[in-house]
Amino acid sequence: MSENRSESETGVPAVDATGLPDHVTESEIRESAARERREKLRMFLTNWQGLTGLILVTVFFASAIFAPWLAPYDPNALDVPARLSGPTLEHLAGTDQLGRDTLSRILYGGRVALYIAAIGVSVSLVIGLILGMIAGFGPRWLDSLLLLLFDTVRSFPTIVLALATVALTGPSLTVVLAIVIITSIPQYARVARTATLTLKNTDFILAERSLGAGMTRTLLHHVMPNVVGPLLILAAMEVPVVVTVEAGLSFLGLGVTPPTASWGTILNEGYLVIRDAPWMVIAGGIPLILTTLGFTFLGEALRDIFDPRMGKGR
Amino acid sequence: MPKDAQHAPETLLDVRNLSVDFRTPRGRVKALRDITFPIRKNRIVGIVGESGSGKSTVLWALLGLLAKNAEVMGGEARFGDRDLLKASEAQLRATRGEEISVVFQDPMTSQIPVLTYGRQMLDILYRRPDVSAAEKRRMAVDMLAKVGIPDPDKRIDQYPHHFSGGMRQRAGIAMALLTGPQLLLADEPTTALDVTMEAQIIHLLQDLQKELDATVVVVSHNLGLIAELCDDVVVMYAGEVIEAGDVREIFHNAQHPYTRALLECDPARIDDVSRKLPVIPGDIPDLTRALSGCIYAPRCQRAMPVCRTETPPDVRRGEMSQARCHLLEGPHHDPDWPPPLDVMTVGAGETSASKPARAVSDKPLLEVSDLNVQFETVGPLRARLKGIDQRHVDAVLDVSLSVAPGETVGLVGESGSGKTTLGRCVLNLVQAQGGSVRFEGQDTLNMPEGRFKPLRRDMAMMFQDPVGSFSPRKSVRALITEPFQIHGVTDVDLDAEAERLAEMVRLPKPFLSRYPHELSGGQARRVGVARALALNPKLIIADEPTAGLDVSVQGEILNLMADLQAEHGLGYLIITHNLPVVRHIADRLAIMYLGRIVEEGRTDEVFARPVHPYTKALVEGVPQPDPDRRRAHVSISGEVPSLLNRPKGCDFAGRCPIAQDRCRAEKPPHVTMADGRRHACHFPIGQ
Repeated sequence: MSENRSESETGVPAVDATGLPDHVTESEIRESAARERREKLRMFLTNWQGLTGLILVTVFFASAIFAPWLAPYDPNALDVPARLSGPTLEHLAGTDQLGRDTLSRILYGGRVALYIAAIGVSVSLVIGLILGMIAGFGPRWLDSLLLLLFDTVRSFPTIVLALATVALTGPSLTVVLAIVIITSIPQYARVARTATLTLKNTDFILAERSLGAGMTRTLLHHVMPNVVGPLLILAAMEVPVVVTVEAGLSFLGLGVTPPTASWGTILNEGYLVIRDAPWMVIAGGIPLILTTLGFTFLGEALRDIFDPRMGKGR
Repeated sequence: MPKDAQHAPETLLDVRNLSVDFRTPRGRVKALRDITFPIRKNRIVGIVGESGSGKSTVLWALLGLLAKNAEVMGGEARFGDRDLLKASEAQLRATRGEEISVVFQDPMTSQIPVLTYGRQMLDILYRRPDVSAAEKRRMAVDMLAKVGIPDPDKRIDQYPHHFSGGMRQRAGIAMALLTGPQLLLADEPTTALDVTMEAQIIHLLQDLQKELDATVVVVSHNLGLIAELCDDVVVMYAGEVIEAGDVREIFHNAQHPYTRALLECDPARIDDVSRKLPVIPGDIPDLTRALSGCIYAPRCQRAMPVCRTETPPDVRRGEMSQARCHLLEGPHHDPDWPPPLDVMTVGAGETSASKPARAVSDKPLLEVSDLNVQFETVGPLRARLKGIDQRHVDAVLDVSLSVAPGETVGLVGESGSGKTTLGRCVLNLVQAQGGSVRFEGQDTLNMPEGRFKPLRRDMAMMFQDPVGSFSPRKSVRALITEPFQIHGVTDVDLDAEAERLAEMVRLPKPFLSRYPHELSGGQARRVGVARALALNPKLIIADEPTAGLDVSVQGEILNLMADLQAEHGLGYLIITHNLPVVRHIADRLAIMYLGRIVEEGRTDEVFARPVHPYTKALVEGVPQPDPDRRRAHVSISGEVPSLLNRPKGCDFAGRCPIAQDRCRAEKPPHVTMADGRRHACHFPIGQ
């Protein structure tokens, strides 16, 4: 070849044969990453679902966190003369049969909902992620065993399981939380397992094995970053479920114990007097509906933007 | 159709000044600019170009099937009395499928998996309400017979997954031809197929074109295919037609420097075996930027100052021929251009001293003997219940092979020949059922991972799809330094190592902070090489190291690999089906068929005098990038049988032109010939 190649003949100096454009600089690469992030943000903010969801969720968080400052009354303070009042200037959302201010109780009830949602969702997400990755990546017998476990847990309806447990232990927020966590682990685990299974046979996991990477390293560094995205979206959509489960159990008198305010107990108490004072049920239901909608919208918007398979073509 | 159309071809579809933009977040990409070429009636027109040249975009623009972010900026495509670019959606629907139809690259994804071929083909004829269903079915069966599908009246009721890859592509062609279109567009019709299938499809298209008097447009990056199949050729580069003409003019008297360079880079065209392959330096320009002058100027060996500022003239010769270059006409005309074909116009990249005499030592680095790998097909319980004796298939059968330090061994075979499994088994990623694998004398077969892990520093794998072999959320820096972390090498500065490796594979430093999906094919290959070399291994197993690379880039990667081998004394086991490439880089070849090595020997000898009929078929099966060396017949018919029904005798007997009764009855043993070559054939050629 060397005799064929003579630069003097063609009159062109030797060209660096890297085959790469020299004009690409580090700042340009960073710029393109930033542009992509901006694009994602723009997509999110122009998506009406995403924006509505974001606003509703922000309001939920703010009102729960700042409840002590926002609430006009102590949630347990009795105003007996004004019991079962409708919305007035003094009690914007009316009062219950003991004369407690419904607005204050709703704000404080949001704290219970946030507590359950935050702890319930994050703990079950982490456990579900770990179990799911192990099931997907580990030996087949372990996978079958874990799947059996997940299916067993899932075969119990959450409410029925909670009823049975509470019948043994008595009503308690902790029990509700534990039930919520246990029953939602399988969902995360199944999503994580499926995602891990598809990754398991990809070239890059094989490449890691060929380099000598162990299971822990492969799972933490290479599987988890690719699995956690869908799980976070699932978590956003799971928040309203957890909030309604708590409200439902409290409504049935199995969750928080009186006099603690919770959206469920407000509904429960309102239900008893629905003919005389419908505002309580209405006032207790609206935040529940809005929070549920907010998180669902947020989750769907996130999925549309970050899950390319579902997001494309919209 | 008039018979004399052969003599004075009229234009069936006239593409003029077609321009297409894509709106992307990075800005407008001027994907096609001022595309002009005629498609002449009853000709096979090849559109050739590297990735990013816009060759497929032309097809989709003609069909009105461009992506949503595309915009046709101007031009016309005159088809009969219509302009396809201005036709309404309803008119286009009436044209697509009826008058213009398409054969897709991947028959796997372009056919409907849940419908039988009969049903799919009936659907294609939905515009013929006056034809009865029975008549339509008869037409479909006839067409399947025409494309060479055996038992068409039975197979028409099967689903796509019942068909093998080659059969599926034949069915795809049958579906495209069913409506009797005037124009058939084929988008990389053989890229998803093996060499022997490719030859069959080329001949099928040729025969059908003659028989049906159709006009065919083939889009491909494969020069061999274009030379073998086409009458007219359109060469595209970065969204422009830079040259067009009769196939002989293009291949024998290319006018544009890019066409010349492209031809010179094709390893199949380089007769003298050399370890340095020519390359076109540089990269396709960024089409979002303002463009001036000749689009090819930054990479052109003959670029002059004027090339960067002034648009070159379109030099026309006759109706079809055109080329766009300053060298051909005008004040910068060079009467000596183009030089004769045997003068190279592109160099072999950076000159490094030609290959030193390599220290091929007697002691093999890797020694595989009688290796057997089986895959379970039926679980033990089901086998018992159904009375199946044979629960396993042999993916690798009695394979013996060795690689010395500094040696390159090519492992060649079609898909399903077990070559990748063999590579993975050597790396202890697949369990073997018998035989032995020795690495530097140590038996490593089925070694527990804990004991094998230190050996992984000495062997590395390069994957077929480099992007797929990178963890998608890791930067290049993280990827190429990961081997150090895995093996607990802590006494090095990882950033310095990353830069050292990037420099070694000639990857500019800014790329270290990129992510895998932001790399081009060639760049990703470089990262793959860097990663494999991180810990200074002794053996590299490269699975299709040039798959998916353009010819101009493939030379760079192979040269890089050769340089590194000369420098570090690496042993390479190169797994490939690309014979033209392996001929230039391998010292020895092993040909695999259905899990068995059928022939093994020195590369030059195997190419010059193949002993096994399969080797001969493979060597002859490569389409030559020379329209004067077209093959009159298909060198090998049929397809690779399924592993599930491995023939009793010689695995190749069913397709072998010289097979006899003995071949079908007993498996030929491996025989070592006087010159050290080994083969497995009862009737070796020339013996």
